[in-house]
Amino acid sequence: MTKAYINGISCISAQNTIDDSWYFDTITPANGDYFSAIEPSYKDHIAPNLIRRMGRAIKMGVTTANLAIIDADAQKVDAIITGTGLGCFEDSERFLLAMLDNNEQFLTPTSFIQSTHNTVGSQIALIMKCHDYNFTYVHRGFSFESCVLDALMLFEEGKETILVGGIEEHTPNFVTLNRRALKLQIQDTTMPIHQSTSNGVQLSEGSTFFLLSKHKSDKSIAAIDGIKTLYKPKTSEDIFEKLIVFLKLYNLTLSDIDVTLMGFCGNQHFDKYLNELLPKLTTNTAIASFKNLCGEFYTASAFAMWVATKLIQKQQLPQSIVIAGSEPKHIKHVLVINQYGGVNYSFMLVSQC
Amino acid sequence: MSQRVYITGLGMISALGNTVSEGFLSLSQSKTGIGKINHLTTRYKEEFLAGEINLSNKDLADLVKDSNPEYNRNTYLAMIAAKEAVIHSGIDTKDGLRTGLISSTTVAGMGITELYYKELFEKTDHLSVIDTHDCGYSTERIADYIGNVDYVTTISTACSSAANAIMLGCRMIKHGQLDRVVVGGVDALSKFTFNGFNTLMILDREWCKPFDENRKGLNLGEGAAFLVIEGEEALNKRQGKPLTEIIGYANANDAYHQTASSPEGYGATLAIQQALAMSGLNPSQVDYINMHGTGTPNNDLSEGMATVAVFGNQIPKFSSTKAYTGHTLAAAASIEAVISVLSLQHQTIFPNLNFTTPIASLNLTPIHELLKTPINIVLSNSFGFGGNCSSLLFKKV
Repeated sequence: MTKAYINGISCISAQNTIDDSWYFDTITPANGDYFSAIEPSYKDHIAPNLIRRMGRAIKMGVTTANLAIIDADAQKVDAIITGTGLGCFEDSERFLLAMLDNNEQFLTPTSFIQSTHNTVGSQIALIMKCHDYNFTYVHRGFSFESCVLDALMLFEEGKETILVGGIEEHTPNFVTLNRRALKLQIQDTTMPIHQSTSNGVQLSEGSTFFLLSKHKSDKSIAAIDGIKTLYKPKTSEDIFEKLIVFLKLYNLTLSDIDVTLMGFCGNQHFDKYLNELLPKLTTNTAIASFKNLCGEFYTASAFAMWVATKLIQKQQLPQSIVIAGSEPKHIKHVLVINQYGGVNYSFMLVSQC
Repeated sequence: MSQRVYITGLGMISALGNTVSEGFLSLSQSKTGIGKINHLTTRYKEEFLAGEINLSNKDLADLVKDSNPEYNRNTYLAMIAAKEAVIHSGIDTKDGLRTGLISSTTVAGMGITELYYKELFEKTDHLSVIDTHDCGYSTERIADYIGNVDYVTTISTACSSAANAIMLGCRMIKHGQLDRVVVGGVDALSKFTFNGFNTLMILDREWCKPFDENRKGLNLGEGAAFLVIEGEEALNKRQGKPLTEIIGYANANDAYHQTASSPEGYGATLAIQQALAMSGLNPSQVDYINMHGTGTPNNDLSEGMATVAVFGNQIPKFSSTKAYTGHTLAAAASIEAVISVLSLQHQTIFPNLNFTTPIASLNLTPIHELLKTPINIVLSNSFGFGGNCSSLLFKKV
């Protein structure tokens, strides 16, 4: 399969990633059991008449999409592919509560219109007047991965420039409900996330977009070689075997990987297989975590791909994310191994180009 | 990239019946499934009609033999239709070939979330609702119900969702990612979607009248339909029997308005033209169009304009089947894909119900009586909020 060159990136996350100069220098801690995204001033990015009506997921998505395009200096895109596990939850909740509170009366359509999962993708298309391919994936921890796989296939089908992004928002009520369902837990930050004995995660949100190109140019920061998703693997050995097969597709072995970014989330049960994999990986590569910085959400893997791209661009592995192994001399291949809920596993390979 | 893709199994549950054969019977008798609302709890129960499936959530739980029922209607409908499609195709998911599952939904778990949302903050009885609310939940339940699924994903592009699931399935087979895929969509009726469409003022209080001058809006429906699609290599390997070939598909965006279609149907025109270009067919080779045809003033005019733009004065025979099932949102394109296959198999066009007067500015008359006629190629359109426009082309085998 053809490579996808990453020509532009933009990320809103729980860290100050929206500031271009940020590189793991100041780390913003979680607000107890959840992180909120550090958002920019949207009036610099979106027309004021539009901002008023948009929910946060839409604002975060439209802004990072726009910045990724600017970063790549792209003139047009041939496809817009978004991934989001929960979509525009704020608008969904607003319409739902209005409906329940008013016994199905006196409702206005705005929040219903914006509650559909493809709102971010379609708003980007509307603003850019893009009549081309437009897709929205909504599958839990595969939402962003599905976008990347689709983009790689579209390049083979002749598309040249594709915008992909992962977007997630939470609301105060959503945090409360997750807390009531015992899904959240404050993490002990004195120990690395993979050693956590917690039974919960730190919920988070954010939006990360990539402007991908079929062609390498002086704008190319890194390249996506490939992606693989695993649904409910039976054992960690099963994951390991499939990882070796995955790397082989690109003529690589584990010893070629310079940094492995692992999706430890802090919930010891969900992290079990990743912990079992760890000793098999550490001999050759530096291991880093990322959810201690971005928190857990359906499209956290998009943040991981942002980190992978930055590592290749800066050629420097920040100590705040390293959990094992030694600093590589050179960062050529970065492997992301993510898991969501101990059910959705994925590999993504990002390389220097 | 040259591998052909065939439909080899069908599954459908809708207001027309709980199986494909029940659905076919209703269609052949020109009998609508739209009627009085029985199961959905809403204050508008007596005011509106809907294409409701005449089974309670408990009935559905019994049908899928759910041992720990959470009465998530959306999920049960999907499980029933997906299983029917797998059984119909005769595939064995344990035979070592790679099977994918690509589902789609818009309402997801909202139908159950809306029943308990407020009490979730007070009591703990129904907190599992937050695990079943998202779109991926039902897909994973189907995956486990079918078993041995190598790839799962879920699409949500409003009312074009299932068309995109079918398209993605074809592409994954052609790219060698999968050997066969169970593709489709599901949406159960919910108070949330019902009220949403009501605030948009696009619901007809009477039976919807697609492509009629006096159409007033759509009737909502519910349902699920799944199709098993297989690459010719996998099909030959097991010596399976194809039902229909998928020869074209396209996805375009209208980029006009978040909910309304452009008056000239620009996105729809692009989708139809690109699907035709992919198949290598001339417009004149299309024998029948299963229209999106929701019955709203905006959709039918816009789709009609797009049809004229593509086909000029040689408009193929066409009808909308929304007046049978109601608009089933994410499931609509897969339900209509099943109906398109039935049209090809039985060489029959199921008539557009409730039609009397053509739209004055278009003067297009749908087929409005059951018609037996040679059909080789069917075009099926699906359009949705967010400007999503998708078209599929099916060929008789």
